[in-house]
Amino acid sequence: MSHVSPPYGRRTFLKRLAWGASGAVLAPALLQACGRGPGGNTGDGAGDGGGDRGGELVISTFPLYIDPGAPGAPGSVERFSKDTGIRLRYVEDVNDVRQFFARIRPQLAAGQPLSQDLVVLTSWMAERLIRLGWVEPLPLADVPNARNLIPSLRNPSWDPQQRYSLPWQSGIAGIAYNIKATGRELRGIDDLFDPALKGRVSALLEMRDTMGLLMLADGKDIRRPTWEEAQPSFDRLEKARRDGQIRRFTGNDYQNDLLAGNLAACIGWSGDVAQLALEQPDLRFLVPESGGVLWADVMLMPKGARHRKEVAQWLNWVYDPIEAARIAAAVQYISPVEGVRDILAKDPATAALAASPLMFPDAAEQKRLHIFGPLSDSEEARWEERFARITEG
Amino acid sequence: MLPLLALVPLSLSEPLSRFGLDTVFNGRIANYLEVLQTYGPILVRSFGFAAIATALGLVLAYPLAFAIRFRGGRWQPLLIGLVVLPSLTSYLVRAIAWTSLLGDNGPVLALVEALGLTGVLDGLGVLRDGRLLNTAAAVILGLTNNLLPFLVLPLVVAMERIDPRLLEAANDLHAGPLRSFVQVVWPLSLPGLGAGILLSLIPAAGDVVNPLFLGGPNERMIANTIDNLLLVQLQAPRAAALTLVLMALITLAVLLQLRGRGIEELPLP
Repeated sequence: MSHVSPPYGRRTFLKRLAWGASGAVLAPALLQACGRGPGGNTGDGAGDGGGDRGGELVISTFPLYIDPGAPGAPGSVERFSKDTGIRLRYVEDVNDVRQFFARIRPQLAAGQPLSQDLVVLTSWMAERLIRLGWVEPLPLADVPNARNLIPSLRNPSWDPQQRYSLPWQSGIAGIAYNIKATGRELRGIDDLFDPALKGRVSALLEMRDTMGLLMLADGKDIRRPTWEEAQPSFDRLEKARRDGQIRRFTGNDYQNDLLAGNLAACIGWSGDVAQLALEQPDLRFLVPESGGVLWADVMLMPKGARHRKEVAQWLNWVYDPIEAARIAAAVQYISPVEGVRDILAKDPATAALAASPLMFPDAAEQKRLHIFGPLSDSEEARWEERFARITEG
Repeated sequence: MLPLLALVPLSLSEPLSRFGLDTVFNGRIANYLEVLQTYGPILVRSFGFAAIATALGLVLAYPLAFAIRFRGGRWQPLLIGLVVLPSLTSYLVRAIAWTSLLGDNGPVLALVEALGLTGVLDGLGVLRDGRLLNTAAAVILGLTNNLLPFLVLPLVVAMERIDPRLLEAANDLHAGPLRSFVQVVWPLSLPGLGAGILLSLIPAAGDVVNPLFLGGPNERMIANTIDNLLLVQLQAPRAAALTLVLMALITLAVLLQLRGRGIEELPLP
């Protein structure tokens, strides 16, 4: 079980993140660690802005999933444009991967290119897009920093040669709770069904996370999920919805309800809660006793993407450990880039993050994290239908 | 009408693959039976919420329209502007604003508690376990708020059409204010009432935002289901069938409303 308490307040955190020309706290340590000057590039070619500077790179991704910068300290998007000369349109329009898929499906099915050159989607959706042949191989020959990918995220079963995807961030689905509202520490999924919390609990609309956690609590193996084994968990969820135990099914918006005090506990994502805890010190994140669901969001190039070269430069840039460390410090998820932990540990402002078991789970913790296994098309349709009948009343 | 007509063959089709766009038309009436069987209760709930919100809206809108028409004087344009003003802001923003007001630590519940009404309202089913946000009452409140301009404006227009000489005549014939209202104002404002109901019931039944933000999973309305069928479950034929069922029910409601009178009689603003 892992509890995360905030190492410092949000204001302090943002202030400390305010790297800039005036001499920020973290920057010197980062630069020293990697032997790189401000605004420079890695010198390994792809990061060189000397190539095609006229292209505009368009990326669709989830909201609040990058270093936004601070007053006087440019964020990732601005720094990338400055470093490479590439205009970047960074669009935070992926709120629900299923709805995003529904939006891009007509064009991709008709063989037409999207306006996006790169999309960030959860791995199970990446698997679907790869299977449908709707993505291009990534220009990895021009991404030398791809070698920095951490071993545990290399060569997933759905992209065994790592041709089509590179992880953006990884994270854990578990339980978020407000200790003041619950009045006690929580231990596992059963706590969400405690009548004392009736009407003050929410679950995620992301089926694999919610069902994964419930099935783990029922002692099921979610690496190979089966319809039959899922039924008790579906039944339990349905009853909790009907009885008013579960107040809402949410996307990222559970954050507002947690902060506003409308929820005492919910199924949530590790990085979100770590960030929220900076604002609300009573918030905790818990990997349940029965285990947490490990997921990854990955970068994919949709079929017909126009700016391969710019995509390569972006991938190389975000896989630079310095930039990856800045992103990790801002979003507090599991970074896919090797070396990030050392960089964070060297700076007093971020040393606490380097010790976080949610950002850097050790071997024992990793054993308690499970990836939800694949579902065939027909199975998925059946699961989605049952889940929707629960979440949509 | 063309997009709607295009839904007819789609609603009688089957998808060729789970993720492709192509469907095959095979006259699959079962789509209709399945959606009616599965989502019938949500359809009933949607029209129930819409009807309650419209009724509540009328209770608020009628005196408001009356006051604007007969007591507004030179402030009439300003008062109408104030009624319309909230509808100029984003529908979504209004729903989100309501979440702050109706939240567990929000001012509405604080007031209810201060007045000692929590137990009573809980007993009446307005509150659920002492909370208001993510309940049926919150959804109906949000719907009512959105409908108000659609109810007030036709009523004001209808009342504007009342010849003041009729009221003078009633007065000359010694009719008191109540009798003037009952025998003159009320019957002549009925077309406005009809138009208001028409203009509010339709959008309310198809609302997607209020149940999403102010309701919980037990308060979803039919538009949320269509949204889910289309965008999450990728079942376009069933989504089309449900859309057409909804359209048919709304058309039926409109026809019932217009029965016995032409649309030209409705004082649409």
